[in-house]
Amino acid sequence: MNITINKQGGKTLVVLDGRIDSSNSDRFQKDMAPLMEGDSPDIDIDCGGMTYTSSQGLRIFLLLQKSVMARKGKLVMRNMNSHVKEVFDITGFSNIITII
Amino acid sequence: MKKKRFNPITDRSSEIITFLMASPDMPDDADLRFKIELSIEEAVENVVRYAYEGGIGWLEAGTDLDDKSLILTIELRDAGKPFNPLEEADPDITLSANERPVGGLGIYLCKQMMDSITYRYEDGNNVLIMKKLVSPERA
Repeated sequence: MNITINKQGGKTLVVLDGRIDSSNSDRFQKDMAPLMEGDSPDIDIDCGGMTYTSSQGLRIFLLLQKSVMARKGKLVMRNMNSHVKEVFDITGFSNIITII
Repeated sequence: MKKKRFNPITDRSSEIITFLMASPDMPDDADLRFKIELSIEEAVENVVRYAYEGGIGWLEAGTDLDDKSLILTIELRDAGKPFNPLEEADPDITLSANERPVGGLGIYLCKQMMDSITYRYEDGNNVLIMKKLVSPERA
């Protein structure tokens, strides 16, 4: 998996490429950890290249959403493919994270 | 059934998943493969992480396809502590982000993605059998 993180204005732009599974979720959580603190909580994640996520990925997206909400920010996930979107739908994550 | 015993299994989830997904019993359809791989990962991870409580143990993984090539069967067998994942309560997916506990979605995803899951404890082994309709009509 490839993760690109850029700051633009007060927002953090993240581009995810590849798979999030049990083999790399620890690294993904480490890479996302800095985004879970600080005073610019708005995060925009481009999931266009994300081909797969297991429950290991979901737990990190939930941690991210909780931390963003605690800081009154907004998390947006965009361009999700249909397989990944179904995982978010089935688990109710589509209702608690803004997906566009 | 085409099966293989992995022993030990510590840190070998990816290898076990790859073995199962490479089986000739697996369908070609991308949507079916996504659902099957996700279910396999969640079920295998459960065994690798929790069955032997940090100790060393084995997992036997196999696939089978019925005579009509309609129903794929995935069987996982381990000798870890007895654990029936089907007895775990489903998560409340109507809760808000703040109320949602972190984790506990793996088995729920298996149940949603597969057509049937059965569990039995047999001869000191946990046996988990997941089935999925893989007929071309379905895909």
